[in-house]
Amino acid sequence: MNTKATSDGAKARLLLARTLVYIFLGFLTILSLFSFYLLIVNASRSNGELQAGFTLVPSTHFLDNLKNAWNDASIDIPRGMLNSFVVALISALLTTYFSALTAYGLHAYKFKLKKIAFTFIMAIMVIPKQVSAVGFVQLVNKFHLNNNYLPLIIPAIAAPIVFFYMIQYMESTLPLEVVEAARVDGSGEFSTFNRIILPMLKPALAVQMIFAFVESWNNFFIPSLILTKAEYKTVPIMIAQLRSADYSKFDMGKVYMFILLAILPVMIVYIFLSKYIIKGVTAGSVKG
Amino acid sequence: MKRKLIASLLVASMAMSMAACGAKEETKEEAPAASTAEEETKEEAPAEEASADEGKVFNIYAWNEEYKGFFEKYYKVPDGVTVNWTIVPSDNGQYQEALDNALLSQADAADDDKVDMFLAEADYILKYVNSDATQDVTALGVTDFSNTYEYTVQACTDTEGITKGVSFQCCPSALIYRRSIAKDVLGTDDPAEVQEKLSDWTKFEAVAKDAKDKGYYMTASFAETYRPFSNNVTSAWVDENNNLQMDEQIQAWIDQTDKFMENEYTLTSGIWEDEKNAQMFAEGKTMCFFGPAWYFNFCMGNAQDEEKGCYGDWAICEGPAAHFWGGTWLLAAAGSDNPTMLADVMNTFINDEEVCSNLIEKEAQFTNNKAVNDKYASDPDYGNGFLGGQNDTAVFAEMADNIKFENQTIYDQILNEGLQSNLQEFYRGSVNKETAMSNFYKLVNEKYPSIVTP
Amino acid sequence: MKNTKKEPEKKIKSVSYAKWGYIFILPFFLVYFTCHFIPQALTIYNSFFENYREGLTQVGPKFVGLANYVKLFTPTAEGTIDILKYTGNTLILWACGAAPQIIVALLLAVFFTSYRLKIRGQQFFKTVIYMPNLIMASAFSMLFFTLFSNVGPVNQLLLSTGLADKQIDFFAYTFTVRGMVCIMNFLMWYGNTTILLMAGIMGIDQNMFEAANIDGATPVQTFFKVTLPLLKPILIYTVMTALIGGLQMFDVPQVLTKGLGMPDRTSTTLIMYLNNFLGTSKNYGMSGAISVYIFIITGIISIFVYRNLTKED
Repeated sequence: MNTKATSDGAKARLLLARTLVYIFLGFLTILSLFSFYLLIVNASRSNGELQAGFTLVPSTHFLDNLKNAWNDASIDIPRGMLNSFVVALISALLTTYFSALTAYGLHAYKFKLKKIAFTFIMAIMVIPKQVSAVGFVQLVNKFHLNNNYLPLIIPAIAAPIVFFYMIQYMESTLPLEVVEAARVDGSGEFSTFNRIILPMLKPALAVQMIFAFVESWNNFFIPSLILTKAEYKTVPIMIAQLRSADYSKFDMGKVYMFILLAILPVMIVYIFLSKYIIKGVTAGSVKG
Repeated sequence: MKRKLIASLLVASMAMSMAACGAKEETKEEAPAASTAEEETKEEAPAEEASADEGKVFNIYAWNEEYKGFFEKYYKVPDGVTVNWTIVPSDNGQYQEALDNALLSQADAADDDKVDMFLAEADYILKYVNSDATQDVTALGVTDFSNTYEYTVQACTDTEGITKGVSFQCCPSALIYRRSIAKDVLGTDDPAEVQEKLSDWTKFEAVAKDAKDKGYYMTASFAETYRPFSNNVTSAWVDENNNLQMDEQIQAWIDQTDKFMENEYTLTSGIWEDEKNAQMFAEGKTMCFFGPAWYFNFCMGNAQDEEKGCYGDWAICEGPAAHFWGGTWLLAAAGSDNPTMLADVMNTFINDEEVCSNLIEKEAQFTNNKAVNDKYASDPDYGNGFLGGQNDTAVFAEMADNIKFENQTIYDQILNEGLQSNLQEFYRGSVNKETAMSNFYKLVNEKYPSIVTP
Repeated sequence: MKNTKKEPEKKIKSVSYAKWGYIFILPFFLVYFTCHFIPQALTIYNSFFENYREGLTQVGPKFVGLANYVKLFTPTAEGTIDILKYTGNTLILWACGAAPQIIVALLLAVFFTSYRLKIRGQQFFKTVIYMPNLIMASAFSMLFFTLFSNVGPVNQLLLSTGLADKQIDFFAYTFTVRGMVCIMNFLMWYGNTTILLMAGIMGIDQNMFEAANIDGATPVQTFFKVTLPLLKPILIYTVMTALIGGLQMFDVPQVLTKGLGMPDRTSTTLIMYLNNFLGTSKNYGMSGAISVYIFIITGIISIFVYRNLTKED
């Protein structure tokens, strides 16, 4: 239909658009990687060099810092990573699953308290976290749940913000015909959710799992008050411990190295999960 | 063997009477006499099994592993006792938060969960000393303070004169000066002569002008001289009616800093900032720093840098005012179920010559035992290369006697830091002095509702 | 709210399934009431009491009615009401970080999902933009602090290139401190927002885009007529959570300014103010009152924004 000239014009415009997009992406890449670069530079410098002030040139102590951090007697990096990984993974799984379940409950069913329940969750979403954190720690102390992962994992089930995302996502992508079709096929409500709805929510689940994982992985305030025994400590507590080391052992090189190391597992989780943020999930299942 | 058995029986019975003392302050009088008797038998006691009616778990709270290292190396834990370390990093005040939670629920805690001993720094020590969370250590058997430095005992003694712990360190802080700059400005780098020319603040300020005239800075941070002033206050931050009051020493620091900033005798940098640290390089133009032994050993990396540093171009003297910086205290938690061991740990770290000698020789500590320190201070062969061969232990040993810990309050840390950081905004030029002070008062009101500010 | 309206049109006979609704939302409410409710309720309760610690000594709790609230709104000697100043600071810091963040994220989400543009190395870009979010906020602030210090690389660069003849004290000016906070917040969160929106766009039925393309819609038309309306629920989520998160902004300015909010407390946020009360003296009374204030402010703004965003249809 198109004449050759207009299609050439369209091609040129597309090329221009593409170039501009790549320039923009390049600029953002530099901005984003810059802080990372700084971290790597700092992780490669000795404590003495770090005291000397900031530079943009990496130094030669990368392996020393790695060795020192890894062998530090007061912290056990692999153990800390494992602890953090267990806590972060379980809370991420719980928070996404139960938020999706709650959102589905409010999205797909009609019941008397529905509107009240929705409004209630929206209202508690607005409460600032900081103050209830202190009260929460006191509760944990009262019930002697210190040095236990439960107080860090269980509260993840009630996450209003994740719930909100799930319900908004369902609203934009989850037609209720799917539920109806499943019912016609004789699928039970619970199994409809687990076997049909959850797979359709893959991109949303992946996104929220990433966020929940990262948040839990970097969480310091509450865990540092609950986990006081060495064998339970998570990564951020260990990093803070390196930072409050006494003067004879204080080594910022080690601190930066550990901060850098701590990012690697989260990056792997991110790369793994971001694969699920892909096209056409809904399209497929509606047609099918 | 028989003697040891008697000794341990004695200790056990002592402990029982002590436990009674802990609860009732009025019986305090007899305690010291009784525990001097215990002193003699003490040496053998630790090797014995812990007495039957005391706890088997000894809980220690700390914010890092420094003391844990010393404890594990030099203290012989009685058989059958497990030492539990709770280490919470001090970032964001988390250590005090965790410690407070534990101390406030001490009464309800099971014996094996009770805090027995905890560590504290000078900055906030009074919060615990002036409270019921700590107990009289003389009643437990820590009575011999003849070798400790006075300020270390003052710091852990409450307003009624009851001593609640000990320090295993002493941290006198010196004036650390660049020899080459001193030669240029003062015509000498000899510590005794430099001290003579910087022995009070009037002389110090006069020299600052000379230094400026020759193109140097006297100090590298506006807050560099804060501690020498604030350690020597003659009145507390708050009066008996809870009114905030500015001691003349603090006012003198403000006046001096105003002058120093105006005349550019110093930089606006904070005491921990890169800008100040950069002045420690050979190319730095700053003559004076203030700090204890740990400061030049661990915080003056720039001066010790192989390429850009100036190793050996430094020396120390007492400076215009005696003061200290840092140090860790061991405090006895009220309600401890291991009073005998608690006292023994404290006695070991202040009075056991072998342990104190090890702390100096193997751990580069300046101990809280005058006799042991003096032994090393008088060693003619000892000299610190960083200080051009000067015997720093000798200087510190002499200085330590003049340090005071008086007129301090539980508010000091926040008030001292708050005043400095708010005034820094004024010295940076972002606010005028009234605003800086009014922001300081705001901070005080937020942190301590009971203090009345102007 | 919107979903309740939707169902009748879809003619779903969901009435008979009502009990499943209750069953599905039960775990959330059980956990909420056991783990979150008590501390939150205590916060509100405490705001009517004098309740703080002085050292280790507990003062109160003593019922004082609205005294804490009155104190919050009492003008200072200079005639300013501090909490309004910190509310203003918070809103400015939020808006300057959030607005570019949402715009850039929206652009990126469209770029990545456009099959006309066919961006190569998507996985690389998607990973890179999210990376700043992986660094702990405190570490990130530490890096910025040293970067912009008086002897830091930025000043060295400015001096060596002759752009400045004297070092610039970045922490002495409201504009520069706020600027740093905004840049940091932008960098930390734009990747996050991008993947949120991307997941939203991915979820949209691809047939819609194909249909638009066949109908000869330009990319701009497709964006405004197809993508944006379908993405709206997710966009609402993004704006709302950015708003709630923004009003609770804390760690970046706290670490960057060492809790001071310099200069002259112009980068002190509401939660930093709250933290001043909570940190040392465990002042549950005043911090409770500030929490309630933040709760009300956030609530009002959220309802306003939510209503406006959901109004048109």
